[in-house]
Amino acid sequence: MSHSVDWFHQIPQNLVIGLEQGSLYSLVALGYTLVYGVLQLINFAHSEVFMAGSFGSYLVVNGIVGKRHLSGAMVPLTLLAGLISGAMVGAGVAWLLEKVAYRTLRRSGAPKLAFLISAIGASLFLSNLAGKLFNHLSNNPFPNYFNVNFIVLRVGTARVSLIVLIIVATSIVMMIFLDWMVNRTKLGRGIRAVAEDAPTAALMGIDIDKTISRTFLIGGALAGVAGFMFGTAFGSSYLMGFTPGVKAFAAAVLGGIGNIRGAMIGGLILGQAEVQIAALPFVGAKWNDVISFVVLVLILLIRPTGILGERLGRAA
Amino acid sequence: MSERQKVLLKRLVACLLGGVVLAIMVGPQEGTLTDLGVSFHQAVVGPRVFLFLGIGLIIFLLITYWPLVKPFIRRPGVLPLGSGTLVVVGAQTIMNWYDPLINAKGSGKFNAVRSAVDASSGLATTTPWFFDWLAWTLVAVGLIACGTAVIMRIRALGYLTTVVGVAGAVLAYWAHSDVVSAGGGPDHSLGVYADIIGFLVLAAAGLIAARSKAEVADPKGALQRIADYRPGLPLATIGLIFGLLAFTSDCWFGPTTLNDNFAQSHSDFAGQGLSQLASQYLSWLGWALFAVAALLALAATWRADRILAWLCIAVSIAGVVITFITIHSMTNVGAQVAVQNGGNWKNLGVGGYMACLVFAVFAAAAVNALSTAKVARAGDRATNVGGVTLPVTKAVNQIRTSSNAKALFIVVGAIALFYPPMLPVTWQNVLVVQIGVYVLLAVGLNVVVGWAGLLDLGYIAFYEIGAYTTAYLVGALPRKPPHWLHMTPLLTIPFAILACLIAGVLLGAPTLRLRGDYLAIVTLGFGEIIQIVALNNPGNFTGGAQGPVINHPRIHLFGIHVTWGSDNLPYWYLLLVMLVVVIVLFYRLEGSRLGRAWSAIREDEVAAQASGVNTARVKLLAFAIGASTSALAGTFFATQVGYFDPSLFTLQASILIVAYVVFGGMGSLQGAMAGAAVLTWVPQFLKDQVPSEDRQMWVGALVLAMMIFRPAGLLPAKRRKAELEGFEGLEGADSAETVNVVPRGGAL
Repeated sequence: MSHSVDWFHQIPQNLVIGLEQGSLYSLVALGYTLVYGVLQLINFAHSEVFMAGSFGSYLVVNGIVGKRHLSGAMVPLTLLAGLISGAMVGAGVAWLLEKVAYRTLRRSGAPKLAFLISAIGASLFLSNLAGKLFNHLSNNPFPNYFNVNFIVLRVGTARVSLIVLIIVATSIVMMIFLDWMVNRTKLGRGIRAVAEDAPTAALMGIDIDKTISRTFLIGGALAGVAGFMFGTAFGSSYLMGFTPGVKAFAAAVLGGIGNIRGAMIGGLILGQAEVQIAALPFVGAKWNDVISFVVLVLILLIRPTGILGERLGRAA
Repeated sequence: MSERQKVLLKRLVACLLGGVVLAIMVGPQEGTLTDLGVSFHQAVVGPRVFLFLGIGLIIFLLITYWPLVKPFIRRPGVLPLGSGTLVVVGAQTIMNWYDPLINAKGSGKFNAVRSAVDASSGLATTTPWFFDWLAWTLVAVGLIACGTAVIMRIRALGYLTTVVGVAGAVLAYWAHSDVVSAGGGPDHSLGVYADIIGFLVLAAAGLIAARSKAEVADPKGALQRIADYRPGLPLATIGLIFGLLAFTSDCWFGPTTLNDNFAQSHSDFAGQGLSQLASQYLSWLGWALFAVAALLALAATWRADRILAWLCIAVSIAGVVITFITIHSMTNVGAQVAVQNGGNWKNLGVGGYMACLVFAVFAAAAVNALSTAKVARAGDRATNVGGVTLPVTKAVNQIRTSSNAKALFIVVGAIALFYPPMLPVTWQNVLVVQIGVYVLLAVGLNVVVGWAGLLDLGYIAFYEIGAYTTAYLVGALPRKPPHWLHMTPLLTIPFAILACLIAGVLLGAPTLRLRGDYLAIVTLGFGEIIQIVALNNPGNFTGGAQGPVINHPRIHLFGIHVTWGSDNLPYWYLLLVMLVVVIVLFYRLEGSRLGRAWSAIREDEVAAQASGVNTARVKLLAFAIGASTSALAGTFFATQVGYFDPSLFTLQASILIVAYVVFGGMGSLQGAMAGAAVLTWVPQFLKDQVPSEDRQMWVGALVLAMMIFRPAGLLPAKRRKAELEGFEGLEGADSAETVNVVPRGGAL
């Protein structure tokens, strides 16, 4: 009996944790969904873009902090540097990935599964290359330049720590920005046009190669930022991409793959579901990895194309 | 900057960047917790990077000046020159030359053997020369001479290359036998054979460069002409060469330090109680059988004579049987002969099995000869029409293809039977646990992914269910089965298959209406769920992370008693039986109504449905059949390893099996098998070549490169190949396809 009371009391705190997880899933899921929108392909190597962003920002932050103790304005500046470097490295790796593992295959008109396998090969390659370059340890904590667990906000029984605030705020800002970009800018229109009907878009004067490249850049930047924030909170390792990658992919499918708002919602729902259900007294954290898939399967059985339905072009 | 310059600049940057990445990939440096990229420094800063930048630059120049280089590259002799050089260089850098049992762990690479040779005395004078400098000098001279001969059309240099190549092959053989006879012990390594083959190819390149006047080489046509000259003759020659090797120099009996060849083992076994037949075999019968079979094979293929061919087949079969009896007898008596080390006498060296293989090759050559006789008769009928010589008819072609297939079948079967015993124990283990099991899994998944076009990312779950069903039924799990259901490992196979069929249907029925990528994520989730359920389940049904311990299988049937122990070889033969059954069934299935229905829904589900294919049922069948194959693999695996735990059945493993199938060539049985075999072999092979943590990186790079340069896979199915390259061979179909803007949707 007391267990279930505990669980009930934990709900607000778990809401916060779920929001933190969910925002990260959403950021990564956006990359899957953007690429799926334009290419109708699961970019299996996207998880390594996330990992690369984390390691890139790890290098930069370590370079800035070194052995010093940061204070004052240097802390937010370092954070900003980490965010930017994460985004840049993520975008760069995603861009290279598209050039090497996708564009060559598009040129040769390969079957769809070949893309999947080349992405899997790239994923194996990138994660183990990172392992060779950095190390094969299971965790590399970021330097401790600010107190990530500092409590900024108390809402009832829930406490919001600084890192959660940063993650959620950054994610919200980036998602709003992305939504604006896809719906309002010329680039966004191009992306939607390619997603809707690539050959026709080409006839309308859209450079498809460039649009696809830029889609990868955007998705990579989002994943890189997520990688930086994940690393700051939990540390990074060469295998860090795999599990969040799979979960984010599940989130993208949950929301309706190819659908940008769907990916955002899917990530948030998955984050909440995972944390809340795992906290149930008869479930427990060891089932954590299963929950997201059970939720996914159940929702897909009811709505076979995800919560918001497919297509980048139509729904976004 | 003009457009052309921009393209060139981009290409140059890409090539140089590729060089830098290669510099990071190659090299022993590994990062540590505190280095923050120091290993990057080690890899990239320093003179070694210029080597890799140079490689990048060469590739850049090759791509840029391809039109200038191309006419030379296409000249006759260049292809054998390149491949021969590559083989020799590979043999002398990454392959093992001599792995005496005494030092089973040490690598017997060329360089290691060289230092061993330098340290030891009593070798012929040429041996240290060969290992020190002669081998490399010969390659360099061959490469330069033959290259010049091709470009400048100098005949003498071509002949010089031939001389150099033959000399290299002979010297390699001498030097190697010298080292092996000095070191003792059986030798399993292949380095010297690769080296000899490479040098001989180099010699052939020289000959071709000197003799051929053609501007554009036609290697396929040349090989075809050689094969058509006397069908079966190349096989008979190969058999003759390897037979001579087997009967003169290869180890027939080699417990630890001993290295007895054929003649020596006769004297060693004299008076030790060897069976009559075996001792006769060792004294003269072996040679006689070999000589008769070889003569018959050569004569039958040369004269295309049916009687001689049948005789050759009979002698070859007798040869295999008698050789096998001899090996068996030697194994039984060996313990008394090699008393100095009773523990290791079981390892007989490679000679006997090589002899079996050679007899099988002779039989294959004779089968080819039989077809020639048939062709001659069919050809008579064809050419006699009105006295006009007709081209080779379709019937003749058919006979040739089918006889080639038969010969290939015999050779492959013989290799599957007789090659594994020649391998060192560690490789036998790899063959069974890694290669064999994954080949079986890939063949099963090929049904789902390759034929039906359903992307299943949770395939390992069925494997897991199969393994756990076996564990449950033999009573290895904490929860015991009811008494009447308790059984021996091999009997569980049908039950494991049944369990996986049910699981396949349970997963498939609700999810198969999902389209491609949704199905992928659901199956992926299924795989995760099954693994975690096996890890922590209510009531501790499976024993969690502990994992079950299972007895090795046993058969007591109709007076036959077979017990599988910890030795790998018997498992290989068990697995071979399973594989053959599965492959034959699937081969029949591919062309059946069901197989055609699968390819129909793979290509276009709506159209298939409109044509009356019950898509739900057909998809479900694909799932169930794939699942039951992996149940077979699961049972085999569970009984072979004797112990396993849930951590083996990861999502990564599922994804890798999909990669095996596609790497090998989607939708083709041989492809799936080849893909699984290659990709499970490569990490084991790389064990000796790179730091062990880097193996997956190289596998990833290999998969990526394969998809970039050959998206249809290693051995693509004919249908797939046609899809990619256009239906050139088929009448009335569009040949060239327009370049896809984005990959086509729907079908995988």
